[in-house]
Amino acid sequence: MKVLPTIAPPPSGKTNINIYLDADTNITDWYSNILIPAFEKEFTVYKVNLINVKGVGNGTGTFVDRLVAAKQTGADGQAEIVEFDVRGRPETVKDGLWLKLDASNVPNAKGVLPAAVVSEYNMPYRGSQVLLAYDSAKIKESDVPRTFPALLEWVKKNPGQFTYGRPDKGGSGGNFVIRAIHEVTGKDPQKFYASVDPDPALVKDLDKAWELLRSIHESTYDKGSYPAGNQPALLLLANGSVNMVSAWSDQVLINIDKGVLPPTIKMAQFTDLPMSGGYAQYAVPAGTKNKEGALAWVNWMLKQDRQVDVIKSLGGFPALKWDQFPKELQTQFNSVVADTIPTWPGGKWDAERNKGWYEKVATNIKQ
Amino acid sequence: MLAPRPSSQWRTWLAGYALIAPPLALLALLIFFPAGQAIVRTVMLDQDAGITSGLTLDRYLNFFNDPIARSNLSFTITVTLITVFFQFAVCFPLALYLRFSTSRIAGAVQVLALFPLFVPGVILAFALIRYLGPRGTVDTFLRVVLNYEGFVTPYLRPSGIVFALTRDHIPFTILVLTAGLRQVEDSVIEAARDVGATSLRAFVQIIMPLMQRPLLIVFCLNIIGTFGAFTIPYLLGPAAPQMMGVYMQQTFSEYLDRSGAETQAVISFVLCALVGALYVRTVTRRRGERA
Repeated sequence: MKVLPTIAPPPSGKTNINIYLDADTNITDWYSNILIPAFEKEFTVYKVNLINVKGVGNGTGTFVDRLVAAKQTGADGQAEIVEFDVRGRPETVKDGLWLKLDASNVPNAKGVLPAAVVSEYNMPYRGSQVLLAYDSAKIKESDVPRTFPALLEWVKKNPGQFTYGRPDKGGSGGNFVIRAIHEVTGKDPQKFYASVDPDPALVKDLDKAWELLRSIHESTYDKGSYPAGNQPALLLLANGSVNMVSAWSDQVLINIDKGVLPPTIKMAQFTDLPMSGGYAQYAVPAGTKNKEGALAWVNWMLKQDRQVDVIKSLGGFPALKWDQFPKELQTQFNSVVADTIPTWPGGKWDAERNKGWYEKVATNIKQ
Repeated sequence: MLAPRPSSQWRTWLAGYALIAPPLALLALLIFFPAGQAIVRTVMLDQDAGITSGLTLDRYLNFFNDPIARSNLSFTITVTLITVFFQFAVCFPLALYLRFSTSRIAGAVQVLALFPLFVPGVILAFALIRYLGPRGTVDTFLRVVLNYEGFVTPYLRPSGIVFALTRDHIPFTILVLTAGLRQVEDSVIEAARDVGATSLRAFVQIIMPLMQRPLLIVFCLNIIGTFGAFTIPYLLGPAAPQMMGVYMQQTFSEYLDRSGAETQAVISFVLCALVGALYVRTVTRRRGERA
């Protein structure tokens, strides 16, 4: 059992805003070095504490357990904001653990992209998605596949020029494989949320996805040499071994920014059904001691300049509608903006995806 | 001379055991006990299914009936044998050179050979990707300088694992082999030379028999280390087939199949234990002779 941190009392005259994240260092750096100092300067009555629970137990889910326990005993949960998708714990919504978030208490919520909203108890504030990254110096824009079947055709016509990572070694490969699964199950991502345990009939349908992916196995980079991770896949693109990969949008932008990927790398998303991704979601516990502070933070994060920062320093996607941004940013990103970003339940479905892929797509055993 | 009193003898005896007790307890608690538990669990009937007791070999039958599991096991054994062969092919001549050369270059070679000891495996794996990978240093050199386009990268292929694991084990192999060779005294070889033995004959009839034990020790430890390798096969190897270390981790945390992973672990453990037994026999026989 891990021990959850106890929060120090705030300096006199200030109130705490405790934010719980489950995030990589690029995100926590962004909070500690940019967001928190700027917020505390603007709102001098608040002291912001960042608690990152990356890599321990069940992430912020473990912390939600503590909130549930605190609510039952009437104790202070010591949390103002939790980055947590409440759909993962539907019973907490029913029990009234969370505060409803909308334009009445978060004024900037009116500009939020409807596709990013997953629940009235959540507020999205940044997103990322998996898309195709390609070298525009080698592939004409008109040749870039815009649908999944078109991509399969393209890969067969251009053997060795495309690759995706192993699905269990990073989301860039994982969500590409999920897109193949969506392709053969009626392009309806909601199907997979019907029950907690995978439905055997739906699991059987995955075989069709394995057939699709197996059909390009020999045509991917080095006849099915799938790189083991997000960055290894991007490195094959960077050194010109392949001309197209599936990749996380924010990782592509950061790699271009750091000079790992050449500036000729562009991104494209499928227009029929985009690859999965997601928006990071804030949730505010209904019983929080500092509701005003919590709402002030959420609203502040949805301001236009904060959201431009999501694009520029994080390489992520803003949670605001694109018409809220300057024209040149809009055109720079219009080929990748999706109205909907499908999601995937993970958990046991991940196990089905990984096992099926290793046994039926990547395998060296003749089927 | 006074004979030691019985009580002091008792105290020495007790002190000896007290000194080895903590490591023994650690071994028993952290290694033997969980390993025993794992072995027992793999042959017990599934308790979740409501059956309380009884033995079964189902999990092992499942393993050996699964073509993927079989191919991963045979792949691991093949890669291990090939890798250990290359480790010897590279290191034994080098160790002989280091033992018998007195030049200053030999000292530099020794430092170079031992240097990789200080490089962690994960750094080595990424360095090799940059060096031997597609469009890496070697590929680029061949293309630009020699105009040769046919370089086949070992990255994401079995040869990548063999290459990296061979390189990874060089320092350890050299250390043990040179230590063994230092025990072969110059006078023994000079004596053989005096009665007219050629270098080859001195090698075959004097050095090889004396080197039998260090060679066996290196062989056993390298087999075990290579069989259980994880980082290098994970980063450099193909998606299929996989080495057992990678396969186990995947079965455990990606397929969420705990008992499957445990079965694979027991099979790997038994195979390594066979080699381990050979090692223990080699080492203890040496002790017996000394006494």
